[in-house]
Amino acid sequence: MQIVVCVKPVPEAETRLRVATGGATFDPEGVKFVLAGYDESAVEQALLLKESVPGSSVHVVSAGPGPRTEEVLRSAIALGCDRATWVELPGEAASDPIAAARAVAPALENPPPDLVLCGKQAGDDEAGLFFSALGELLGVPSFGFVVDLRWDAARTAFTFQRPTEAGAERWEAPGTVVVGLQQAWNDPRTAKLPNILKSRRAPIAKVVATPAPATNRSEAFALPPPRTGARMIDYKTPEDAAQQLVRILREDAKVFP
Amino acid sequence: MSAGGVLVVAELRDGHAAPATREAIAVARELSGGEPLSAVVLGTGSAAAATELGRFGVTRVLLSEAAGAESPASAAVGIAQAAERAGASTVLLVGSSWGRDLVGRLAVRWNAAAATGVTEVTRSDGVLRVRRPVFGGRATETRRLDGARAVIALRPHAFAPASESVGTAAVEPLPDVEVPAPLRTPKRVALEAASAGSGPSLADASIVVSGGRGVRTPENFRLIEELAASLGAAVGASRAVTDAGWRPTSFQVGQTGRAVSPQLYVAVGISGAIQHIVGMVSSRVIVAINSDASAPIFKVADYGVVGDLFQIVPALTQEIRRVRGLG
Amino acid sequence: MVDFSLTPEQESLRDLARKFARTEMAPHAAECDKTARFPEEIYRKAYELGLMNLNVPSEYGGSGLGVFEQCLLVEELAYACGGMTTSIIANCLALEPILLGGTPEQRQRFLAPFCAEYHLASFCLTEPTGGSDAAALRTRARRDGDHYVLDGEKCFITNAPHASLYTVFATVDPEKRTKGITAFVVPRSARGVAPGRDEEKMGHRASSTSTVRFEGVEVPEADRLGAEGEGFAIAMRTLDQTRTPIGALATGIAQAALDHAAAYSLKRVTFGKPIAEHEAIQIKLANMAQAVRAARLLTWNAAWTIDGGRKGTLESSIAKCFASDAALHVADEAIQTFGGYGYMKEYPVEKLLRDAKLTQIYEGANEIQRTVIARELLREYA
Repeated sequence: MQIVVCVKPVPEAETRLRVATGGATFDPEGVKFVLAGYDESAVEQALLLKESVPGSSVHVVSAGPGPRTEEVLRSAIALGCDRATWVELPGEAASDPIAAARAVAPALENPPPDLVLCGKQAGDDEAGLFFSALGELLGVPSFGFVVDLRWDAARTAFTFQRPTEAGAERWEAPGTVVVGLQQAWNDPRTAKLPNILKSRRAPIAKVVATPAPATNRSEAFALPPPRTGARMIDYKTPEDAAQQLVRILREDAKVFP
Repeated sequence: MSAGGVLVVAELRDGHAAPATREAIAVARELSGGEPLSAVVLGTGSAAAATELGRFGVTRVLLSEAAGAESPASAAVGIAQAAERAGASTVLLVGSSWGRDLVGRLAVRWNAAAATGVTEVTRSDGVLRVRRPVFGGRATETRRLDGARAVIALRPHAFAPASESVGTAAVEPLPDVEVPAPLRTPKRVALEAASAGSGPSLADASIVVSGGRGVRTPENFRLIEELAASLGAAVGASRAVTDAGWRPTSFQVGQTGRAVSPQLYVAVGISGAIQHIVGMVSSRVIVAINSDASAPIFKVADYGVVGDLFQIVPALTQEIRRVRGLG
Repeated sequence: MVDFSLTPEQESLRDLARKFARTEMAPHAAECDKTARFPEEIYRKAYELGLMNLNVPSEYGGSGLGVFEQCLLVEELAYACGGMTTSIIANCLALEPILLGGTPEQRQRFLAPFCAEYHLASFCLTEPTGGSDAAALRTRARRDGDHYVLDGEKCFITNAPHASLYTVFATVDPEKRTKGITAFVVPRSARGVAPGRDEEKMGHRASSTSTVRFEGVEVPEADRLGAEGEGFAIAMRTLDQTRTPIGALATGIAQAALDHAAAYSLKRVTFGKPIAEHEAIQIKLANMAQAVRAARLLTWNAAWTIDGGRKGTLESSIAKCFASDAALHVADEAIQTFGGYGYMKEYPVEKLLRDAKLTQIYEGANEIQRTVIARELLREYA
């Protein structure tokens, strides 16, 4: 099985977010970009499938500027991906998921994969647009919110679940699909030290993409005002506290269902 | 940016328009500034839904009862067709699982700008702008959508639903559209309706109720679950609870568990250790209930109740059920 | 060393150790300290990820890292728990004599099977009558045909109850002092090898320490490292290699203490403001920060020197001595910053002081480090 997994370098979880001068985007100065979140699950899922279907290989692809994109690809190689392609894109284009998908699609056509795995959304913009745009560009079906993805060899089809508001859906897909993964079976593995060292020397194919014209851009990036401490509710009886709280949630906070 | 019309994508649920669609209609009404409102419904039962949509101010409903709309790929084909017919320049929908999955496809197919998880939409001087949370809710960005067309998926429960008004919609069936064979091959083989007992998943819930060590015993944790059920909320737990084995680790909210950013987070009997805080601090509204007035949780909460949770929580559950008419 | 920044490779290695330390070690540090439990499952995971046998070349199945990279890893591990780190790196200490004194055949025969699976090893030099005065060791190695017979007792040996391999220093002739000391490799399975009971220690309680008695242990000549009388030099050259990572271990403990104290000082309010705004605390934190950074940079400088092919005895002694003294002082000040809470076992700082103390004593007590520093220093003036 030829599996492609698409990943995006995102700021690591502990990053202290800062607004860049000009106020339009976050300040990437000193920020460490890593493979994280749903993308990490996607790589894990790709490796699990590779291990369960003999003769399979995993091709990891990422679009973005250097050096962060190259570093994230090396992390994926250290985890066990067989080959890697870096689609070089300037930061602004890479931050538009549709533009990123347009840049990546041509890199996946030869040979056409049996499965394209992505995280359901990136840890920074959380747009969830990349994988579905990629599906449309490749002309194959795409599904997000996927959990429990399996390959059913007897039926030569992928099976998976999608938890939705209406309930849990179960799907069967006999051909190539693009999956926006929500959860892999297990905790993502940690790369072993010898593989980390080997990944530094691994070859990475590089494609320089001409970015598609941007369809949207960030105008403002804002951090919420810092919290100042709770407004404590004064009450006489538990029922009184309950009534006050419900009223506050409905009328003041406007979060009552 | 040309001011073409707004097309609302209505989602079908059990043969009716999903309640969340009314949120999209409300936003569409504002954006279209009095212009006639169109909607598109796809799938079996869309005809029945069309009549409902008329009651919320939609004047033209395009529909197709062809099978396969549960697949985002097929749905995107149908919606692109409807958008052409309606002469729309903006497509609006609520970002449910179904809705979100088709936005990227539609944006490519229909050559439009796209945004998801949107909590604010404005149009001024012909420029469409959206606001949305990013970085797990720790920040917000404002994006400007350029080009002639836009597809916008709203964050669920971020907008008030449209109120009812008198009106009927003209219903217009869409001609069958050719969906390429590769897009038609996946099949949904089962749909297990969400049971009353199971709430939404932590990851996507807009309300989360979490319990901590303060509940004292695993049996008492049902107080948390009852409160959650009354709000239609997901249930979470602090690490102390999952480490003690009272609930599985999938319930754990925190640094080594999961991070959530719902609209409302209720922390019951949770002291507020930093490892827990980082997992929920970006929730829009935080309510804390704890017997210890100096518990650190009160520093990050918006509203606090100091008291005995064994008295406060049942009273709160009862009041919520009363107000929501849950009996 | 003109560039103080890390390469992407060094950062990846450091990140691996940091992730392992924070997710696998840290959650169990307090419990293992309290119960003196030897967390074998954690050591096994360290082995699986390639965090053990750091100094053994990859051709034998080790991680083949230079001293600098070892220091990066050791500091991250020690940040989570000094005791677990001591047990994890004890293999490096035990195997170094084989690397330095063994023939290629011996290196292959001992190291390849050892590194192929999870194993622990112990470095056996110290005895009841000789710690700092290592040359005064009394364990006898009597020649008998094609083998030696070892008799004696070692003490304070890390990992001894769990080791499958011991590198043992014994004397073939006590009269010859250092010139009689000889190095041997002894498997646990050899008859007469008897590790003792786990000692109850002040700190590093997740690490296991005991005596090892050798009673009539037969060791084939093929398992002797180097020639008779070369053992003391092998031991000293071993310590030249392993001394610097102890500086990193101490730095990790010190950094943890500083982090706890600084975070606490922003939260704890006295006299109407966070204690971080009281000058007394600011001075403490400033001194602690200087000490931690100096410890790290001295350690890095020593590591860079040794990786550059030089002996680095002066640099590594300075690093180990300074960093361990710094760790003790910083941990002490961290407890003071926490006040009464710092004295309570429920808070993590008192453990750091107990763990820091050992770094001043083992791998060459700081008194000996100072005599070494003086000796090396004065060479430059002679």
